[in-house]
Amino acid sequence: MSLSSNAPPSSAADAAPLHPIYAELVTQLAADLSAVTSEPALRTVHARYLGKDGEIRKRLAEALRAAPGPEKRTIGQAGNTALSRGEELFAARLNALHDAARGADLARSVDVTLPGRRTRLGGLHLLTQVRRELESIFAEIGFVVASGPQVESEFYNFEALAMPDDHPARDMQDTFYLQSPPLPGSTGGRLVLRTHTSPVQIRTMLAQPPPVRIIAPGKVYRKDDDPTHSPMFNQIEGLVVDDGVSFADLKGTLLYFARRFFGPSVDIRLRPSFFPFTEPSAEVDVTCVFCQQKGCRLCKGTGYIEILGCGMVDTAVFAHVDAERQRRGLPPAYDPENVSGFAFGMGIDRMAMLRYGVNDLRLLFAGDARFTQMFR
Amino acid sequence: MKISWNWLRELVQLPAGVLPVDPVAAAREVEKRLIRRGVAVDAVVPVGVGLSGAIVAEVRGKRPHPKADKLTLVDVFDGQTVTQVVCGAPNVPAPGEPGTSPRVVWAKPGATLPSGLSLSVREVRGIPSPGMLCAEDELGLSSDHAGILILSPDDGLAIGSDFAMGAGLPDVIFELDITPNRPDLLGHVGVAREVVAAFANEGATLVLPQPEFSRRTASSSAAQAARIVIEDSLACPRYVGHVLTGLRVAPSPIKERLLLTRLGARPINNLVDATNLAMFFVGQPLHAFDLHVLRGSQIVVRRARAGESMTTLDDVQRPLSSDDLLIADAERGVAIAGVMGGRDSEVRPTTTEVLLEAAYFDPVFVRRTARRCKLHTEASHRFERGVDPNDGLLLAARYCCDVMLRLAGGQILSGAIDVYPRPIEKKTLALRYARTNQILGKQPPVSIHEQQAALTALGLTIETTAVDHAVFQIPSSRPDLTREIDLIEEVGRSVGYDDIAPRVPQLHMAGPTRAGCDAASTTLQKNAERARDLCVALGFDEVQLFSMTSPDRLRAVSQTSDGDALPVPLPLENPLREDLSVLRTLLLPGLLDALRKNLHHGQTDLRLCEVGEVFLVPSGERGIDPACIQTTRIAGVLCGNRSYFLKPSPTDALDFADVRGIVEELLDGLGYVVVPQATPVAADPAQPREVIIQQAHASTQPWLHPGLGAVIRAATTQATDGAILGYFGEVHPTLRERLDLPAAVFAFEINVPGLARPARSYREPPRFPGTSRDLSFLIAADIRADQIRAALLSAREPLLVDVRILEDYRNPSHIPTGQKGLLLSLSYRASDRTLTDEEAQKAHDRVVATLQTAFPVKLR
Ligand SMILES: [Zn+2]
Repeated sequence: MSLSSNAPPSSAADAAPLHPIYAELVTQLAADLSAVTSEPALRTVHARYLGKDGEIRKRLAEALRAAPGPEKRTIGQAGNTALSRGEELFAARLNALHDAARGADLARSVDVTLPGRRTRLGGLHLLTQVRRELESIFAEIGFVVASGPQVESEFYNFEALAMPDDHPARDMQDTFYLQSPPLPGSTGGRLVLRTHTSPVQIRTMLAQPPPVRIIAPGKVYRKDDDPTHSPMFNQIEGLVVDDGVSFADLKGTLLYFARRFFGPSVDIRLRPSFFPFTEPSAEVDVTCVFCQQKGCRLCKGTGYIEILGCGMVDTAVFAHVDAERQRRGLPPAYDPENVSGFAFGMGIDRMAMLRYGVNDLRLLFAGDARFTQMFR
Repeated sequence: MKISWNWLRELVQLPAGVLPVDPVAAAREVEKRLIRRGVAVDAVVPVGVGLSGAIVAEVRGKRPHPKADKLTLVDVFDGQTVTQVVCGAPNVPAPGEPGTSPRVVWAKPGATLPSGLSLSVREVRGIPSPGMLCAEDELGLSSDHAGILILSPDDGLAIGSDFAMGAGLPDVIFELDITPNRPDLLGHVGVAREVVAAFANEGATLVLPQPEFSRRTASSSAAQAARIVIEDSLACPRYVGHVLTGLRVAPSPIKERLLLTRLGARPINNLVDATNLAMFFVGQPLHAFDLHVLRGSQIVVRRARAGESMTTLDDVQRPLSSDDLLIADAERGVAIAGVMGGRDSEVRPTTTEVLLEAAYFDPVFVRRTARRCKLHTEASHRFERGVDPNDGLLLAARYCCDVMLRLAGGQILSGAIDVYPRPIEKKTLALRYARTNQILGKQPPVSIHEQQAALTALGLTIETTAVDHAVFQIPSSRPDLTREIDLIEEVGRSVGYDDIAPRVPQLHMAGPTRAGCDAASTTLQKNAERARDLCVALGFDEVQLFSMTSPDRLRAVSQTSDGDALPVPLPLENPLREDLSVLRTLLLPGLLDALRKNLHHGQTDLRLCEVGEVFLVPSGERGIDPACIQTTRIAGVLCGNRSYFLKPSPTDALDFADVRGIVEELLDGLGYVVVPQATPVAADPAQPREVIIQQAHASTQPWLHPGLGAVIRAATTQATDGAILGYFGEVHPTLRERLDLPAAVFAFEINVPGLARPARSYREPPRFPGTSRDLSFLIAADIRADQIRAALLSAREPLLVDVRILEDYRNPSHIPTGQKGLLLSLSYRASDRTLTDEEAQKAHDRVVATLQTAFPVKLR
């Protein structure tokens, strides 16, 4: 930027000579103006020379008083000229000061590649992110989120799910029991840390008649501890009860989920299996996303990876629910001749590990900030 | 459950060409079908596959290798010539008389081993060795390489014969994971039936061996030799005894021994091995008693008597109770029914007569006893799941007698002693064809013919048929088939789940009714999610930690005081280990532990948070409702600096105001309202919205610095202090040192509310400017900011819209001892006009006057 472009149209030096009685004052003003370097000081100089009681007006008044009549007019005009010359000088200096300040400001520079003062963003845990993703996938097809307590009674965790005490099916899940007094009523039994999210099925059906379409994520506990098993892990349970729900609907729901979560090219395979609270039951494999079914370490060469267990809600579960509903004075609503349903459960941790190639389950619960930051 | 492919193949008759000739390829084909039918195959393990040219040879002589201590020169005889072989094993047997000398397996030159190794003549330390003598691992039998395999002349393998053929090799072992509903698959016959059903379309049939022992039946009858009495027919509905005499106890031949080993059992002697083979064959556990030892030659099935005990096979003396079912003779217990035999009645080398037990014990009974004794045996595993009391039981007994007679000689006394006081009838079940399709949803529907064929292939028989249904008789080997839905599942498995086309379920627009859902828990979930998001926005990294912890870790945070006021954690009855033995009552200890680990990783400036549950036992006598035990909390720990440029300076270090600021944001974000003083308003005490912040106490928050700790309490209360909803502050220096944490760690922990946040609403932004007045005064230092704020607000001045504290000044050189200087900025505004200076000043004067009546203040 050129300073001269902002310069006033004329400067004191070029202008016509001032009347001698003002010339010295104006020269002094010019000197004082150029001596100051800040705007407030500049304004002080302005006031001293050009203000109401300034030097120039003082000189003008004195000169008028002393001058003979005919000269008064000339002296008056010369005074006004001196004042406007002074204003011009002031304006020019003010501009120059502004320009200099702007110039100095614009002369600042930094190394833009130096790191900044960062307000570090936190991160959601991988399990939270995957759980939310699962919830939203199922929300797309009409599921709502439900929940239940982690400390459960044996009634909800086992009995109502057709796993009575003395049933070998209980061996499938190594249970943590709590030291507590026995619970009252038929919903009693001992207190356990729930071994699966399936008790939420019972709680939901006791609370509402069909149609039911819920997804229930949460922590579950089993007495296991090795690189692939953790005594605490996270499951997500699904339950649909309505009229005319069939195994084909179950398969369609799971296929929808698998393709939304693992990608549109995956397929699922259902293998018959056994769970006490579903019949028919199946375990579900997804085509290996790591090797495109060529066989790899993660799918143990089979081309398939097991992701969840599922099945049609066992009629015995419906019977338990209706019996308990009646005991609580609620109308029965789950006659298996009228409604049918399916349920499924999967490990959120397992989904997270498969999706992101995490190879040690224990990392998920190690409280390591670096792990959280990886998925920020 | 391990299944031998060789054995299976004897039971399944298949037309030629259905399966490949190669045993491994054939087994893989069968595996695929089994998986499709829901039989989980964990592994398919070839045994001795690729072994050829290894023969049985007799040891005729041995001497040390002249140049190597550990090598032996062995003369072996292959039936024609004697050859010298170099052997490195430590267990080369001494030669005996020809014909009775020990035998070994000699892989001759030209032989191949399962590893692929081809043998030739090779020089070993200067002496040529034609082939080698083999250890079990080299033969592909096991991983045992302790020494060479030694055979006895009784093993029935002729000198010079092919070892593989004589030993029943090659074989393929299926390792199956059998679900608890399918006890029938705990034996080869059941698996064979499943394979037959899997290949039903290819014409597979089941072939069961016929008993041969009629030829060796003695004229005297079993009933004369022994007596069986069942005293508890509920626990033992059937007990069958066979009596065999003239037996000779010896090791089983190598073929049987190897088979048992492949199936995961330890060979004992020929009689015990026979019972195990029969069990693996049918899935029915059997037990052989030495008849001479049975006092009174009788078996009494009865409950144990009070104080009675018995020493089991594993040499453990076990106290029994009247809930345990005992197999006794005339005087004492000889076996715990269905669980384990007694030491004193077991088959021993001198045994010549046995009573063979084949019984059905009630599953629940066996399970309770096994659990009480902490014994899980092959037998209890099967009885618990339910054995076949009819055909299966009899088949197993016959098969076992056959094997015993074959391996141990002797005779069987005529007639079985069959006590069956409570016959278990075969069930019948109706299947409605339409119901099948309703449940499976297959298109096109499964035809009547397909449905019938699927079930008859599994051994079900049709009793009656109608247009829309049929009644099937269920084999008693399938205790899992008790309802129509069970038959539908069998049809489904047979059709194959692959062939059911997926369909996305119709969405009822009525939708799942939210009314039924627990509204409070839904709100809690939402608030917990919000808490997570808030913390992340405030720079925290979320972690998820175990709900279980150690009592010590909980106690550690309270050790700075007596800590008696802390809640008692709920203990686990059967913890994995001590450090996971109680449920946490605080999130803080876990977070501090995580913080320490992260610092050890070399990280600095950490902010960790967790939204999780703590477990507190509610007081009250109504018993515990599990739903009331857990409370969801948001907690965080932080240390180090605020954000800084390049390198933190001392003024960048976090202090109390940082954690207080974070807590204010969280409280606000979660819908709590911080008020300056408790108000005696009767709101729902379970769902407080208004909270006050107070100085923390060492008795309730001993983990906080005594001067830099605060509690958050419900503000709406009558007489007593409101419930504690959280705390925050600096972690107590003593605790910090004990946990090896660096200077200044801050923490907070707040209950996530179950109450929805107040609905947001639109309010017009102020249209008229306000004005503010500064207020500077001296006041006693112990009067807290909230008290002053409360006093100012008590003026109820409608024009006062905001009170801000600009300065809390305590420099002793300017402020008298015991005093502090405060500078406040008070904002005044009217919503409908611009305030005049006069109006604002009048309002301000009223507010200041109120303050002055509340506290002695010295205006400045
Ligand atoms: Zn793969």
